[in-house]
Amino acid sequence: MNGAPLPDGKGALDLDGLTKRYGEERVVDAVSLGIRAGEFFSLLGPSGSGKTTTLMMIAGFVAPDGGAIRVDGADLTRVPPQRRGLGMVFQNYAIFPHLNVFENVAFPLRARRVTEAELRPRVQAALALVRLERFAERFARQLSGGQQQRVAIARAIVFHPPIVLMDEPLGALDKNLRYDMQVEIKDIQRRLGMTVIYVTHDQEEAVNMSDRLAIMNHGRIEQVGPPGDVYQRPHNAFVARFLGEANLIAGTIDRVHAGEAALRTEDGTLLRGSIDGPLEAGRAAALFVRPEQLALGDGGGENRMHGTVARRSFLGSTVRTQVDSGRGVHLLIDMINAGAMRMPEPGSAVTVSWSPACSRILIG
Amino acid sequence: MKPHRTTLLMLPAFAMLGCIFLAPLAWFFVHTLLIDSDPSDLRDQLVAVLASRAMLRAIVTTNWISLLVTVTVLLLGYPIAYYLANRRGFRFTLVVFCVIVPYFTSIIVRTYSWMVLLGREGLINQALRDLHLISDPLPLLYNQFSIVIGMTYVLLPYMVLTLFAAMKGIDRNLLLAARGMGASGPMIFRRVYLPLSRHGVISGALIVFILSIGFFITPALMGGPSDVMVAMLIERSVEITLDWPGAAVMSLFLLSVTLLLYAVYYRVTDVRRLMGTV
Amino acid sequence: MGTVMSTRRGLLRGAVPAALAAPMLWTRRAAAAQQLMVRTPGGAFDEVKKRTVYAPFQEMTGIEIVPVPSTAAKLLAMFKAGQVDIDVIDTGDDSLLDLEHAGALEAIPYKDFKYTNPDDIDPSVRMEHQVGSFVYAFVNGFNTTVYPVGKEPKTWAEFWDIKAFPGPRTLADMASGAPNLEIALIADGVPMDKVYPIDIERAFRSLSRIRPAVPKFWDTGALSAQMLSNREAVLAVIWNTRVQVAAAGGAPVAPQWNQNQVLAQAYGITKGTPKLDAGVRFIDYSLSPAVQARWLGAYKAIPVNQQAYAHTAPELMDPQTNLPWTRSKGFRNDIRWWSANRAKVGAHWNRWVLQ
Repeated sequence: MNGAPLPDGKGALDLDGLTKRYGEERVVDAVSLGIRAGEFFSLLGPSGSGKTTTLMMIAGFVAPDGGAIRVDGADLTRVPPQRRGLGMVFQNYAIFPHLNVFENVAFPLRARRVTEAELRPRVQAALALVRLERFAERFARQLSGGQQQRVAIARAIVFHPPIVLMDEPLGALDKNLRYDMQVEIKDIQRRLGMTVIYVTHDQEEAVNMSDRLAIMNHGRIEQVGPPGDVYQRPHNAFVARFLGEANLIAGTIDRVHAGEAALRTEDGTLLRGSIDGPLEAGRAAALFVRPEQLALGDGGGENRMHGTVARRSFLGSTVRTQVDSGRGVHLLIDMINAGAMRMPEPGSAVTVSWSPACSRILIG
Repeated sequence: MKPHRTTLLMLPAFAMLGCIFLAPLAWFFVHTLLIDSDPSDLRDQLVAVLASRAMLRAIVTTNWISLLVTVTVLLLGYPIAYYLANRRGFRFTLVVFCVIVPYFTSIIVRTYSWMVLLGREGLINQALRDLHLISDPLPLLYNQFSIVIGMTYVLLPYMVLTLFAAMKGIDRNLLLAARGMGASGPMIFRRVYLPLSRHGVISGALIVFILSIGFFITPALMGGPSDVMVAMLIERSVEITLDWPGAAVMSLFLLSVTLLLYAVYYRVTDVRRLMGTV
Repeated sequence: MGTVMSTRRGLLRGAVPAALAAPMLWTRRAAAAQQLMVRTPGGAFDEVKKRTVYAPFQEMTGIEIVPVPSTAAKLLAMFKAGQVDIDVIDTGDDSLLDLEHAGALEAIPYKDFKYTNPDDIDPSVRMEHQVGSFVYAFVNGFNTTVYPVGKEPKTWAEFWDIKAFPGPRTLADMASGAPNLEIALIADGVPMDKVYPIDIERAFRSLSRIRPAVPKFWDTGALSAQMLSNREAVLAVIWNTRVQVAAAGGAPVAPQWNQNQVLAQAYGITKGTPKLDAGVRFIDYSLSPAVQARWLGAYKAIPVNQQAYAHTAPELMDPQTNLPWTRSKGFRNDIRWWSANRAKVGAHWNRWVLQ
């Protein structure tokens, strides 16, 4: 993994069939995960997918109805939160308003009865790590959102927990600051080598920061893997759509051959793509391909469709073109915005092509 | 809304307060101290009344009883408010009901019911005698003990409601955060919950103390002969001896102390926080 | 636009005269109804009096009695502010003397009385600026479960004897109007007719002797009766009216009338009232023998009209003399002494209670 593990390699987390019910509803449904020591791991999903409840069960604030939580092999399922020794960064920081920055950061150490002599340098080191040395005497209300966030992080790491839990820590920050903080958090995590479990609904954030991520939906894990893998090879349409833009072209399996299948679209076009497991011909399926894999013209690859340019939008560094190809198929094509490049006008007929290697046939 | 518009909305309230409260008060002080008596005697009058043994003793008694009441109300009110702040549904309603309903009963009725309980032949003494725990009745009534009980009962809702408001404003995430950081229950209470409810404690204590120093009915009914509070001296001067200049001086004194405490209250209780704008 | 304007004008045309006329209408109606505003103690006092005095009076004269609660201090304040809206004052004779000294009372025009012969009125309550309406007294009230009738203290000296007659007592607080200085002197050996002028120092010394047995001095009549009824006190210096009401309600209490101190409820007429005639008529009416008999027979107080003695409740009459107890065994409270000395006694009391 990218992060250098803690010297003693601590911080591995195992979730085994973790379940939480509220009434009839299973908000977390048999979630099993193995998170390695030193890993930056994101739980990504829409709101209500169970990611925060999962995190709260790991922290100990919510009691699971089933399953087990193990840290470095030790069962923590019934251990109260104050004895789990995990760091936590809350969504709205949870900075103590009656304590200054120094005392906020010192709080976990005082809870552990660290001596005054030892406490001061440790707090100062934690503050230095988040570049807040000069703000030690300030109170939360005198700090900006980003500074408060850094206090929360310093407080979560000051007692060197093997695992730090973060619950949408950047949700309240504006976009530019959010990117800077992503870099900063990632940097701290790398330097300290701790395990981070990071809950977010922002897919860009998860992709940027994570060593691996889990996509959650309806209390279940849809897919786990490194962001690039999940992005390129989603297991199903939900994951494909949730992580970035996706073209999904409906059809039926025409034939299957050696890890590859051909899909016949409703207008009869045959498109090829890779498959994960065995599939039988005749099944309804969809072909998935990312917009940046498509090209206008014949040069993109063997999969081809024809249509009319419907609209074009500039997204800064990229240009997105929508091509309508009859029978309700709308293809999105992203191209690098290279200035002088000539783009077909809306209304003109075009061919769209891409490589079967970038395409996947998905069921469901 | 613009500030001057809100001020405008308050105008009828200010006007009413001015007419039915401030104007008569001013009339009373001007009339008794400056018109009915010689203004040049005012200083002598002030000294004579305020330095009298009765007034000095009443001031000491008033402060002492108010302090006892404030502490008792705080010790009783804090757990109740804590319970309320952490409960919902039936139990919440039940406790709120028990705290608030007496508030709507006449203070005289409530005081008399305590007298029925605490009297020489009252329920408590009778029960203790029936259980053969005592042979002679305990002096539960007509002393400072009974005053404190009676006033505590009357003033408890003010403390509970003030504390409840403060406790409801405490972000529960802070308590979770403290727990997540390894703090034990007692440490969370001492280092997080108590400091965060502190402004409620101070506001509640001030409001109870302010109300206490002006108390009249309960100490008059439940106190002993020597438990004389300032408000009782004032009432006696106005109604019985018709010594209005003396009453005016004492009232002015009590009013000044009360206003001073209100000024402290205003500063301590961040009004913006009460309004929920911070 | 035109319609709106004309409608508005129309409204105004109608509204202005109506608004101007309203106060006149109100005044005229009030005058027609002939209301007399009377300060009264309220409560049970008014309930009985409404039935036995106010209603028959209104039937006869058309004048409606409107009871208004007020304290002596409030009346005095109203008078000083020139805002007295009360015509007749029905209160203690001592409060009326304070008002008289402030110049707030008319003289009572006894010569205009039609229903009552002024000569029948007990001379001790027939004064220039006020006239008594009934009398009552400070008596020794006792709880009969502790002291059966006949075993109670018979004199104030015995009442003061804590050893011979043990048990908590209650006496009047300064806050009730006046402490029991006269009774303290009698207990100390002063004859009833030598009580005034009161030796304040001696009276307080005497009070000090009984104080260890007094858990509470009462400030309202209700409190004194309650304390005596539920044995917070087994002996009390208490108004006889309160003992009788409590006894009628089933409480084990009774009065010992020996050496009673006679107090009076009285009428005064507010200076400058526009309803002087109506006020005089009301006072005249309520002092007449038949009304006194009907009213005080129900209220169980002693009439001031001596013609009504024959109809007085038997428990208020001394069987040996066939006079009210107040006439046979009592001494009259001196309101003039109190009016002159109340502030002094108040200051003394404030010091004394702190000892």
